[in-house]
Amino acid sequence: MSGRPETTARGELRFDTLTLDNGLTIVGELNPRAASVAAGYFVRTGARDEAADVAGVSHFLEHMLFKGTDRRTAADINRSFDELGAQYNAFTSEERTVYYGAVLPERLPQLLDLLSDMMRPALRQDDFDVEKNVILEEIAMYEDRPHFRVFELAGQRFWNGHPLGHSVLGGQASIQALTREQMLAYFQRRYAPSNLALAVSGAYDWEDLTTGVARLTRDWRPYQARRELPPAEPAVGEGRTADGALSRVHAAVFAPGLAATDERRYAAAVLANVLGDDSGSRLFWALVDKGLADSASLGHEASDGAGAFVGYVSAAPERADEVLGSYRRVLLEAQDGALDAEEWRRAQRKLATSLTLRAETPLGRLVSFGAGYQALGRYQSVQELVRAVMSSSVEDGRALLALRPFDRLYLHRLGPDGAES
Amino acid sequence: MSSPQNSDTIYQHRFENGVWLLFEPMPWLPTLSASLLLPFGSSTDPEGHEGSGAVLHDWIQRGAGTLDSRAHSDALEGLGVRRGGGAGREAASLSASFLADELPEVLPLVASMGSEPRLDEGEFAPARELALEELASLSDAPTQRLFNALMERFLDGGPGRSPFGTQEGLAELTPASVREDAGRRLGPAGAILALAGGAEWDRVLDAAQRALAGWQGGAAALPAARLRPPGREHVHADSAQTQIGVAFAAPPPGDADVYTFDLGLHVLSGSMGSRLFTEVREKRGLVYSVGAHYRALHGFGYTLGYAGTTPERADETLRVLLEEIRRLSRGVEADELERARVGTLSSMVMQGESSGARAGRLASDALLQGRARTLEEIRRAVEAVELDALNDYLAAHPFPEPTVVTLGPRPLSQEAAA
Repeated sequence: MSGRPETTARGELRFDTLTLDNGLTIVGELNPRAASVAAGYFVRTGARDEAADVAGVSHFLEHMLFKGTDRRTAADINRSFDELGAQYNAFTSEERTVYYGAVLPERLPQLLDLLSDMMRPALRQDDFDVEKNVILEEIAMYEDRPHFRVFELAGQRFWNGHPLGHSVLGGQASIQALTREQMLAYFQRRYAPSNLALAVSGAYDWEDLTTGVARLTRDWRPYQARRELPPAEPAVGEGRTADGALSRVHAAVFAPGLAATDERRYAAAVLANVLGDDSGSRLFWALVDKGLADSASLGHEASDGAGAFVGYVSAAPERADEVLGSYRRVLLEAQDGALDAEEWRRAQRKLATSLTLRAETPLGRLVSFGAGYQALGRYQSVQELVRAVMSSSVEDGRALLALRPFDRLYLHRLGPDGAES
Repeated sequence: MSSPQNSDTIYQHRFENGVWLLFEPMPWLPTLSASLLLPFGSSTDPEGHEGSGAVLHDWIQRGAGTLDSRAHSDALEGLGVRRGGGAGREAASLSASFLADELPEVLPLVASMGSEPRLDEGEFAPARELALEELASLSDAPTQRLFNALMERFLDGGPGRSPFGTQEGLAELTPASVREDAGRRLGPAGAILALAGGAEWDRVLDAAQRALAGWQGGAAALPAARLRPPGREHVHADSAQTQIGVAFAAPPPGDADVYTFDLGLHVLSGSMGSRLFTEVREKRGLVYSVGAHYRALHGFGYTLGYAGTTPERADETLRVLLEEIRRLSRGVEADELERARVGTLSSMVMQGESSGARAGRLASDALLQGRARTLEEIRRAVEAVELDALNDYLAAHPFPEPTVVTLGPRPLSQEAAA
């Protein structure tokens, strides 16, 4: 092991970190009073790291990590999670792939054994062939969810060739054509120990945890994985996709935002909440409260190297023009009008409550803890996050609006009507 | 299984007007969650006015007491409250999570939506319009459509009705008709307020007393669920996948057999190592999503099974789904039971760490069983189930003939369900 474990005391919860010789970083947030412990491998790889000929491979690979290792079959993995009474799952985004589980504290060593073993999968051909069907079923399932589809359509166009516009699922054709060898090559390139972080939150013993993980991963060969961070040149405008089987218009809205390391991201989150929280926001009062749309929202997504304001609205086709016009007007008027100190404070307080609520359980805390560490390379306690949100000022919000991000909207509508564009 | 966060105390109080207050302290938390269940749902919607409960649920959130809609919402949000809830089959719920220090300010604002909603005339039209929008949105949500159709096919009368109402029912509503409905169904008798989190009972009782004790009114009785004869139905939809839903009766909530049955169901579908996941997804790659879950209405329990698959695989998927459900009556292995038990107990501890989950469970226990259970009571009951008893139970109670509803581009062959 290189160096000595670093331990920082911050208020109630202790933060621990250690980087092993193979390059794997382990981070822990100790809560000795928790009744459970959550652990997850955060892999800095996702759809944005895929070449076009392997579109969807990150997500397919995520499934394959549950299909067995040299020591375990797929059935062994599922049975082991069950024997531990684990709540567990995995997810893939444009940014990262995360494998996680929560157990009672005494079962943490077995959970770490299982998760660590999974990070070195067997990728057997017969498992690959069966799982391909499951992936194709998942793609079909999302085809029936216009709310999801419209984000893929809009994101791809908004990002305008930037890798953040890649589809997480890939397409029928790219998945059909994908071979095990292509997946293996991707895995070997991306799952370098230094490209992974193991995050643990809840009740644990740091000494036991790090000794155990060092032993479990001692055969991992150190190497580097790089991510391309090209500049983003987002598209502006409007697009349409017609689907006669739909009965509503679903629209996704993108506007340029801030990267995960930008200090103004907290103000961007508060601003998005003022404009588009699902209750009490400007979009809520303009559209949902009036019964013009059943959903109208806006959030801010801060990613690696770039970010975006991302919104959604759905309406009846005969009312879509009016509703989309109002949606757009709410955002433009925010740029031209005044931002009220009271509405800013309400949004801050709602966000602070949400952060505190999520931290009630180790599993609820894990993703923000692990992803936050991975994005920034440093620890942020819940208290620090709450402080950051509460100290962003209405002037910070006004400064963001002065950049006029909503002059550069991209809006895509998916519905029964209209020509393709 | 002792943990630093076990608490075995549930405080309760019934106010004279009938409101039932429950509280589970979680003194280590800075947060508090509240769940208010109001005794009106689609099962007691007036005949011809299907959706009246859904509109009422929205309308009561548009101003209460001295505050109009905007002022009431701003007051809650100014306190940082995260809100939730929905219109259900038997009750409408309003939930709120907040920092525990705000309890004296938050509780009156939440309670007033039940006890003194303004029901302002001008807020009626948008409330109904929103209900119509939500109903229309279902047509682009095939899974939700499937479950609405399945429940309607499975249960007779009120309990089978969709909480979203119908277009015809919603069209019939007027401010006067919904106010009259509120007079009949929105009352303190049958209302449940459950809280969990970082507060002391004295403070909770005091705040609830001030907020709710003056509430007067009545409540409608819940109709008993009646089964329709089992059968099959197909709903046409131009979807990529065929949605498959099955429903059959199970022990009622509060029944001594529920823990036994639930462990059996966990073997069938409680995890990714369960029989359904293994046979339908892992071995055959037929689906992304498959499962079976216990659900309950007041005095009635049932199981819903689900799978979504592309049309050409739908016959085989339904066949395997039903085979696995039926095979359960031949019993489970000792190791299957142990895994189900470990999973149930461990997830109970983990859910017990969340104030929202605990408040929600207290409220639903009170509604469905007429009593609240501590985590300790549930743990003992789950630990007491023995393999022989479970297998005897499963043999003596083979799964009844299910109701099967499918939704997709074409019907399944009749053989698939035979």
